Formats: sequence, C-alpha cells, structure tokens
Amino acid sequence: MNEHQPSATVSEVVLPGIGRRYTLPAADGTHLVVVVHHSGRRDIYVLPPGASPDESPTTSFSLTDDQARRLGAVLGGAYFKPAVVADVETVIGNLLIDWVTVRADSPGASRSIAELEIRRRTRMTVVAILRDSDTVLAPGPGETLRAGDRLVVVGRQEDLGAFLRHVVGVPDG
Amino acid sequence: MSWVFPMGDELIALGGAFLAAGVVARFGRHIGLPTIPLFMLAGIVFGPHTPGVALVEDPRDLALLASLGLVLLLFYLGLEFTLSDLIGGGRRLVAAGSIYLVLNIGGGLAFGFALGWGGREALVIAGALAFSSSAIVTKLLVELRRLANPETRLILGIIVVEDLCVALYLAILQPVLSGIQGIAPTLTSFGKAFAFLVILGAIARWGARVVSRLVSSDDDELFTVCFVGLAVLVAGVADELGVSEAIGAFMIGVVLAGSPSAERIKRLVLPLRDAFAAVFFFAFGLSINVGDVASVAGPIGAAVMLSLVLNVAAGLAAARLYGLRAEPATNVGFTILARGEFSLILAAMATGSGLDGRLSPFVAGYVLVLAIAGPLLTSRTASIARRVPARLISQGGPP
Repeated sequence: MNEHQPSATVSEVVLPGIGRRYTLPAADGTHLVVVVHHSGRRDIYVLPPGASPDESPTTSFSLTDDQARRLGAVLGGAYFKPAVVADVETVIGNLLIDWVTVRADSPGASRSIAELEIRRRTRMTVVAILRDSDTVLAPGPGETLRAGDRLVVVGRQEDLGAFLRHVVGVPDG
Repeated sequence: MSWVFPMGDELIALGGAFLAAGVVARFGRHIGLPTIPLFMLAGIVFGPHTPGVALVEDPRDLALLASLGLVLLLFYLGLEFTLSDLIGGGRRLVAAGSIYLVLNIGGGLAFGFALGWGGREALVIAGALAFSSSAIVTKLLVELRRLANPETRLILGIIVVEDLCVALYLAILQPVLSGIQGIAPTLTSFGKAFAFLVILGAIARWGARVVSRLVSSDDDELFTVCFVGLAVLVAGVADELGVSEAIGAFMIGVVLAGSPSAERIKRLVLPLRDAFAAVFFFAFGLSINVGDVASVAGPIGAAVMLSLVLNVAAGLAAARLYGLRAEPATNVGFTILARGEFSLILAAMATGSGLDGRLSPFVAGYVLVLAIAGPLLTSRTASIARRVPARLISQGGPP
C-alpha cells in the first residue's frame, strides 16, 4: 500500500477518488485518523486506545475547509499558547516562525514598525498582526503596534532574542 | 427572438425532469438511498409508460442532453484516472481487483449465455453485472464514515481497477455492438478503435501539456467553455469513427488528467456532470416500461443472487490476500455490490444496436435492486459478519 511517512509519527495513505488519509498517535494511546477530501472537507476519526488495527473507529466528525483551518490555528497556538510551551517556536530549516504578544509595558507598544526599525535592528520581519478579530497581513512600516497585538514574526532563529528584547521586552517578575 | 424558438413546452419538460429527479432522489436520501437509481426511478414514474403525469413523452426529446451527461460522466472518470494509484497499490491490489473482475465478468458471461438472449446480449449483461458503481461506493464509504477502516483502501483500489476495465470493456464492446458481420470488417473496426486509443494514449503520455495549453485560461469562464468543447468534440469524433462517444470522452479526460490544470477542470466540470448525468439517468428511466421489468423479474432475481454470491466470494478472497478479519472482509464484498452508472451506460449503449428488447428493462431492474439493496446491506454488515464461517476468514495478520 502506498503508505509513506511524511514525518516520524504521521503516516499517509492515498484514497483514490476521495483524498488522503493521515494517521497520527495521540498521547493517551488513541490514534487520530484525518481524512482530507479533494473537496476540502476533513473527516477526523478517533481509534480508541488498544484498538486492533482492523477495528473500525467509533467516533468521528467532519469539518469544512474553513473550520479545519481554524482548528489548525487553535491547535497551533495562534490564539493562545500555554506559558509552559511559550518558547516553542516553529522552525523550518533555518527559518523560524513565532507568535508574540505585545504588552502595555513592551518597548514596542504604541510605536510604529518604522520607528522601531525592526528589520534593520533585529533582522526579523513582522508578517502579520492579529488584532482583536482583525488580521493585518504584511503590515506596512507605518503600522503602529498596540498592546494586545499578536505579532507573527519570521526570521532566523538566532535573531529572535534581539527581537524579543527590542519589541516585546522582558516580562515583569 | 428569431432563432430562439418558442421552447416553452420543451423547457417545462426539461425543468420538470430535473425537478422530478431531484425531488425523488432527495426523498431517497432521507432513508439513505443513493441518487443514481432514484434519478432513473423518477424517469420511470414520470415517463410515458406509467399512468399519471408523463413529463416527457419520448425519451428521444432528451437525447442530446442525456448524451452530454454520458460524455461528462466518462470525461470525469478519465480525469480521475491515474496509473500511480494502481502502481502504488502494488501487485496485491491488482490481484484483488483481478479476482473480483474475473469472477464477476466470468459469472456474468455464463449467466448471459444461460439466459439465451444472444451472444451480444450476453456481453452487455456480463458488463452490466460486473462493474460496481464507483459513485455509489465512494459516497457510501464517506457517509457510513468508514474512511478510516482497514478495508477502505482495498475497496477503493478495487474500484480503481474496475474503472480502468470499464474503459477497456466499452472499447471492446462497441465494435461488437455495431453489429458488423464478417471477419475483415470486424478486424477493421477493432483496428480503428485500437488506433484511436493508441493515438489518444500517446497524446496523454507526451502531449498533455500542449493540449492543456490549447484550452487553458486563467479565466474560469473561458476555461470551462474550452474544455467542455474539447470533451464533446472528441466524443463526437470518436463516435463517428465507431469507437463510441463514451470512450472518446474518457480518453480526452485521461489526456487532461496529465495536465497541470487537472484539479481545476475537475472542480469546474463537477456541477455540470452532476446535472447532465441526472438527465442521462432520468432519460434512461423514461425508456423503461414497468411491465417489461416485471416480465423479466425471474432473470433479475437470479442475477441479483448471482452477484450477491460472487461479490461476497470475491470480497472474502480479496480480504484474505490482505489478512483482514470477518467484519472488514464482509464490508469489502457488500460495499462493492452496488451497481449504477456503468451498468446503465452499457444498457443505454446497447439500445441503439437492435439487441433483445428485454435487455434494458432487465438492467434497469437489476440496478434498481442492487443500488438499493447494496447500501442497505452494507450498513448492516456488522451483524452479517458474525454469520460468516470462520474458515473463510484469514486468522493471522497480513501474509
């Protein structure tokens, strides 16, 4: 069966005429099976812990493409990242993507991207700002950062520290 | 309004046909029935042969739109065709598919000859009995939420093998159906069909990019107009060459499947296919007389039993190859039992060839029974599986 491993823990199977099926293990011994349809629909099946491989899954639910992306964003920590994993970033090769929140006492609060000279001084780029329910994609240099803004930043891993000091500041306590 | 004739009557008939098909199929969906047999049923009920409203008196009034439906069905099938699915499945999958087809085509042929309606009729019957409905099977798996089941990849793999063989079967059947007498004309006809397939196959292999550039456009509107034109034109040329429009449409679909815009064509053509395929099934229903179906009830019952036995046997054999246990093994056999579009396409192609008049009502009844019984049985396989004798089931893991 044309099963291959996109990563160590996710296996992929092509379902002709339907889409692709991914199986990934969950922490409690259950397995999640995600079917991505050509139509964009996603079906998620849950295989209970200890289920034999030829058992049929019991629970399942379906998401539209849009809902699936939202769920993906929630799971990826776009809305809220627990403190314990706050310093876990996404790294692809040498490229790093991180989400940071501007606090009221941050050095970057109420200052524009141009004023802060973010790119020149930290070599990081702000690619998006999540502000309340809006998203500012590719903000221009005139964009002013506000307390509560969540910034999506891209750059090299070694530059993240400089960026955090320059824009976000060290949290009190 | 000089060239647009006053078409009120025709439009009312066509609109009525769409709506009747849609409403009947919607009703069926509530009780979990697939759409294809119900589109046909709507055609039977609202046709000239049954008392009550006859939306369309003569199925030939819908002939052009119905054949457009046929062309789009096969075109889409061609678009979905990829050898990589087949090769990726490996030898075991090809073996499983072959077991299924040999059992079902062989059984169908034997049954067809046993009926004694004639040799050409037997060939049509064999095809109608052999090929599962990919549309119904795929939908069934999604709706019964069985996509994560262990047997699903095997079922879809068998369907891929079947789809490929449908195309081959149509290509072989057409010269036979056209009723050519004598060895030399028959060979010429086979030769023409074969040459056509080879040429389009070569274009699919080496010229897909050129063809796609010919019709491609960034604009969805222009793109749709161009590829529909290409599909219909090639289907027409194929028909003129005696290869059948179905094969022409399938092959041009295969050509475009290899182009970079294949996914986009699939997305754009899908609603067109759904609408006109419904007209095709409805028009097929119009040509069916319930009385004729009743008169072949015996053969229909026998064919249904035969398919039931052969499918379960083929399902168990395929499941054994994959080391599946009782329930998944039963699922394989019953899921692929559903018959639909391919059986009806074969029967429709046969109607113009002066074959035995009982053929269409026979296939209509057979499809109606299996398209409805198949899904109903499939949703209850858990209890059926418990009655499967243990010695028929693989006891270990995959070999």
